[in-house]
Amino acid sequence: MKPASFPRQLLLNVAAWAVVLAVIFPLVWMVVTSVKPQAELFRIPPSFLPDAITFEHYWRLLAETPFLTYFRNSLVLAVSTTVLVIVVATLGAYSLVRFSYPGRETLAQLVLFTYLLPSVVLIIPLYLMMVSVGLANTIASLVVAYTTFALPYALWLLRSFMAGIPEDLESAALVDGASRIGAFWDVIFPQALPGIISTALFTFILAWNEYLYALVLVNSDQARPLTTGVMNMLITSFNIEWSLLMAASVMMSLPLIVIFTFLQGYLTSGFGAGGVKG
Amino acid sequence: MASVGFENVRKTFGAAVAVENLDLAIEEGEFVSLLGPSGCGKTTTLRMLAGLEYPTGGRIRIGGRVVNDVPPAKRDIAMVFQSYALYPHMTVAENIAYPLRKRGVRKRERGPLVRRTAELLQLEALLDRKPRQLSGGQQQRVALGRALIREPEVFLLDEPLSNLDAKLRAHMRAELIQLHQRIGKTTVYVTHDQLEAMTMSTRIAVMQAGVLQQFAPPADIYHSPANLFVAGFIGTPSMTLIEGEATSDGNQAVLVASALRIPIPAPAGGGRSRAVTLGVRPEDVVVGSGPIEARVKIVEPTGHETIVLLEIGPATVTARVGDGTPLRPGESVRLSFRTEKLHLFDSETGRRLEVEHPLRLETPRPASARA
Repeated sequence: MKPASFPRQLLLNVAAWAVVLAVIFPLVWMVVTSVKPQAELFRIPPSFLPDAITFEHYWRLLAETPFLTYFRNSLVLAVSTTVLVIVVATLGAYSLVRFSYPGRETLAQLVLFTYLLPSVVLIIPLYLMMVSVGLANTIASLVVAYTTFALPYALWLLRSFMAGIPEDLESAALVDGASRIGAFWDVIFPQALPGIISTALFTFILAWNEYLYALVLVNSDQARPLTTGVMNMLITSFNIEWSLLMAASVMMSLPLIVIFTFLQGYLTSGFGAGGVKG
Repeated sequence: MASVGFENVRKTFGAAVAVENLDLAIEEGEFVSLLGPSGCGKTTTLRMLAGLEYPTGGRIRIGGRVVNDVPPAKRDIAMVFQSYALYPHMTVAENIAYPLRKRGVRKRERGPLVRRTAELLQLEALLDRKPRQLSGGQQQRVALGRALIREPEVFLLDEPLSNLDAKLRAHMRAELIQLHQRIGKTTVYVTHDQLEAMTMSTRIAVMQAGVLQQFAPPADIYHSPANLFVAGFIGTPSMTLIEGEATSDGNQAVLVASALRIPIPAPAGGGRSRAVTLGVRPEDVVVGSGPIEARVKIVEPTGHETIVLLEIGPATVTARVGDGTPLRPGESVRLSFRTEKLHLFDSETGRRLEVEHPLRLETPRPASARA
């Protein structure tokens, strides 16, 4: 490719950076606000860089509020949902792709049908069901609720991933002496891993950020996740604790950023390329 | 080593019949090719033998043992797939060692076996590579290595050469023949390439539409095809087939097709006239002299020989002539057939008709000797 002329390159760079700035400005503002002393917060004109940096809001959040409980709840909730969804969806997708039984296609489409219902419609019935099975006000109720809408999507995502894995690979493993489960574990699982990881990420983010179900199904501090917990604790009709809210937001975002950074390689690598000729 | 037997095996997929009443007895150490066009059931037959498909009816035996309900892992077979099916996330060494690993061979003992197999297939330098870093021929050898390492009772090969270019294919064909001679294991080889089947097999099973047509050594398949399908399928260029009526002309049987009268060997036991199809191999057409008048339609020189398409009345005959015979399209020539080499088939059933000892009125000499 011919290198672009200087003015053109400059223009492109300026445009690109403008977009980047627009996207990251709220995030930067969040971080900056979280380390500003209370006195500096509402100063006019606002200062972009704080005069003094303080971590008192973080300290207050960790020491004086139930933030850590919420954080632990969110972590338990997101991890359990992800594990449950991935185990069921991986095996389910494998079954939908590899085994033939009557109604297989119908089943696959029916799974997607559950997506047509708006979640608001399901909240009340779900709440009543949770009450009747004695799960109301528990993290487990949220795990079940999130699974109901994360699982269909995960199934479809993994199904298309599995369909892309050549059947010959599995046949070869069977002939080479593996059992069905052995062949799945040795050959299918490593091939589907990028798909499984992206599905897991999707599910984790969904469970981590969900608000509506958490608000309706759980109303005790013992079981509240971060989303509703932070709102409940810092935003009241009379006052919004901006400094604490921003500090909480930064800490809520950290796990996702860490996970993304860690797994990025898996998502982009051409893991299964070139395995089969033809 | 083990024999392989199919007894009245049938396989259907829904309403579609893939394999119909297959009877096949393969002896220990044989190299048998399943040959036929796409969709003839040859791959399904192999997959049933591997245990990847289960027969709808009948019995399959390996070494005398009925294996109908035995999973692939317990059949003591190894298979090479058309796609090679190498495990993409494993190195060459791990791929080759996989069957041993699955059979609980210790890591310490696997190493030397992998090295020995790699040596046999000249893969020593590639052991640490991933399959995607290999050429087609190398991937093919890895797939073979994975099949060889365990020394199974039976080898199954599903069109293993079809993804290679022509030169490499000829090379690998020779290697496979050599390999079979050296290890002498029962081998079942699926192919649609008659050259592969003819050159490598001790016997060939020709299949069409799920039905076994003929099971015989390559020479028999070529020289006495059991029916019209085998006759037309085997041989390049294909056998010319002329439909007509077999009658008797004095003491010489003849085939009458429109104005054509072709001397043929007498069908066994047949005094009356009947509808037959005459089969002529291109090398059994003598161009230059004879009772039949023909017009040259197409001339295809290949270098050491020339294929000529000749029109005789209603039929087009393919002939193989020596390179020294100058022929031009449109030219008129005379020709005859080597009567004793002609094939006769019942036009209705398609089955080969046995012939009585042919009357040797004339012993034709090769075309090249005449010129």
